[in-house]
Amino acid sequence: MSEFLSQAIIGPLQILGQHVLSVLPNLLAMGMILLGGFAVAWLTGTFVERLLRVIGVDHLSDRLGINAALLRGGIKTDPSRLIGRTFYWTVVLLATVAALGVLNLAPINQFAQSLLAYVPHFVTAAVIVLAGYFLSNFISQAVLIAAVNAGLPPARLIAATARWGILLLAGAMALEQLGIAQNIVVVGFGITWGGVVLATAIAFGLGGKDLAKEFLERRIAGRSRSDITDDLRHL
Amino acid sequence: MGSYNRNGIARTMSTARTPLTPETDAQILTIGSTDILVGIPSYNNAATVGHVVQAVSAGLAKYFPDRRAVLVNSDGGSSDKTRDIVAHTIIDPNQLFISDQQSVLHRIITPYHGIPGKGSAFRTIFEIANRLNAKACAVVDADLRSIAPEWIELLLRPLLDEGYDYVAPYYLRHKYDGTITNSLAYPLTRALYGQRIRQPIGGEFGFSGSLATHYLDQHVWESEVARFGIDIWMTTEAIASGARVCQSFLGAKIHNPKDPAADLSAMLTQVVGALFAAMERHDTLWFRQESSQPVPLFGFRYEVGVEPVHVNLERMVANFQQGLTDLEAVWQKMLAEDTLAQLRRLKNAPSNDCRISDELWVKVVYDAAAAYHKRVMSRDHLLKALTPLYLGRTASFVLTTQGLTSAEAELRIEALCQTFERLKPYLIKRWAGSESHEPGEPLAHRTATDAGGTYERIP
Repeated sequence: MSEFLSQAIIGPLQILGQHVLSVLPNLLAMGMILLGGFAVAWLTGTFVERLLRVIGVDHLSDRLGINAALLRGGIKTDPSRLIGRTFYWTVVLLATVAALGVLNLAPINQFAQSLLAYVPHFVTAAVIVLAGYFLSNFISQAVLIAAVNAGLPPARLIAATARWGILLLAGAMALEQLGIAQNIVVVGFGITWGGVVLATAIAFGLGGKDLAKEFLERRIAGRSRSDITDDLRHL
Repeated sequence: MGSYNRNGIARTMSTARTPLTPETDAQILTIGSTDILVGIPSYNNAATVGHVVQAVSAGLAKYFPDRRAVLVNSDGGSSDKTRDIVAHTIIDPNQLFISDQQSVLHRIITPYHGIPGKGSAFRTIFEIANRLNAKACAVVDADLRSIAPEWIELLLRPLLDEGYDYVAPYYLRHKYDGTITNSLAYPLTRALYGQRIRQPIGGEFGFSGSLATHYLDQHVWESEVARFGIDIWMTTEAIASGARVCQSFLGAKIHNPKDPAADLSAMLTQVVGALFAAMERHDTLWFRQESSQPVPLFGFRYEVGVEPVHVNLERMVANFQQGLTDLEAVWQKMLAEDTLAQLRRLKNAPSNDCRISDELWVKVVYDAAAAYHKRVMSRDHLLKALTPLYLGRTASFVLTTQGLTSAEAELRIEALCQTFERLKPYLIKRWAGSESHEPGEPLAHRTATDAGGTYERIP
């Protein structure tokens, strides 16, 4: 009876115990990595946030209009904290992936690898969107001022067109980078952009025929403006 | 900032060499040195440059017969016969009662390097003056129709015989001729640096050889100074370096219109950009300056008839009104809240009632200068966004002076200058303080060493 007991119950238990014992160090290691990861994440996040505050990133982004843009997007956190939190969660993510890797289980390893492989694409896409946003702001402001100075009545429309053109381009590039519906994005963008250009060309051709004629005459033949009555000398 | 100051002007050889063509180098070696150098920047001025060269030659022969003189034509690649005309124009000495016992007038005709523009042309002239060790220099525009030989004496004599370092021109002009000068360059320069130079961007100047070397040593040749900013820069730099400045009465200035392709916005950007950049370099100087004093004026003053100027008022007001609707977001970044609020009140005002008062205009200019200094937005955008405001102010000036003579309009300009001077504390407050400052609070003290120092808030 006791032999049966030892064979039927204790045996498997022993095997289970051995399994547990063999996994236990891994689990322990995973726990330690996670714990250490969180600590490092907290330190990095706090350090980055402090550093950015010291060098005055908040003030700078306020000037560049980033704060206002964030507020428009419903984010009330200031940029230093935002970047600090981003660092925190990036380190946490990396630590989690590393911790899972310690368990040495095939599906988890695969998942971790594909996740890591996606990170560069994600970063590139984020940079493209950010750069596109700032570029669109800068260009549309330049276009607006130039159009007002040239006395063009639809100045704001022209500036908005420039802004959305750049944002559209940046958005399409970012989506392509992320690999989301690549073909649809490229084709869709191509059709939209081509359509806009064609529409503008037709609109100019039909609506601005006389304007274009006058412009070309002025440029090529050097004929002066019709409203030359103004001979104010500024300098 | 340089070796140029009030206490003894030591002439140092410039370290920064401006590249010249091998032919010019060879010519300089042959000539060796000179007493007087007259520079003429040109670009496609075949129609007028002959007259200018004649006036210069006659002036030098008549008033400085025993001085060695060099005429330098710094050309921007003219496609007409400008250079040929400069090389071959001669004067008939008998016709002008000039004895023919003259020292030879050397002529250097050279292209210039760098950004195409008047400033780059001047840089080459400064370089040649420096290498030839010229004592006194003058520059005159190639598009002048009213230049006479006397101008050469008036521009050079104060340098050679009276101990001045810089001679600004003084013209009689129509009340609407030179509106950037009247509404901005003159009042602002006067309020900042305390010298009443009536035509700081006149175009014709006299300057000593050491001042030319000082100009050459400044690292500004990639900026607005290389273009239309050169005139105002030369004047402010002369005052700031401690040079002795004076003015010479030249009568009327009649010239072919400036490059007709140059649009107002670019011109304004270049002049105001050069003004604001100089404000940054010399803020220790103008912070201290409190009032202004008259600058000596040489020459015999007489009345002249000036060409009438036609003004398209509606277009200027329309441009200003469009700025009010479309550029409000941009102006919000660069102007104080109160200034913008006052401008908003002019929205949709009928064109003959659209007035930017002296005080409001001064605040616009001071706000813009402070915004430029603090880099609240792209500096290029800031300067360009001033165009509708400037047009609005010009329209207001035209409206208030419509029935007045040029002399009466001059009184209005004098009043504007006094407003600029009176509101200078406002500029200093905006320039040094931050938005969160309470009025009346001590704003800033600065490290009292150099213009490169930084402001420190008093805690």
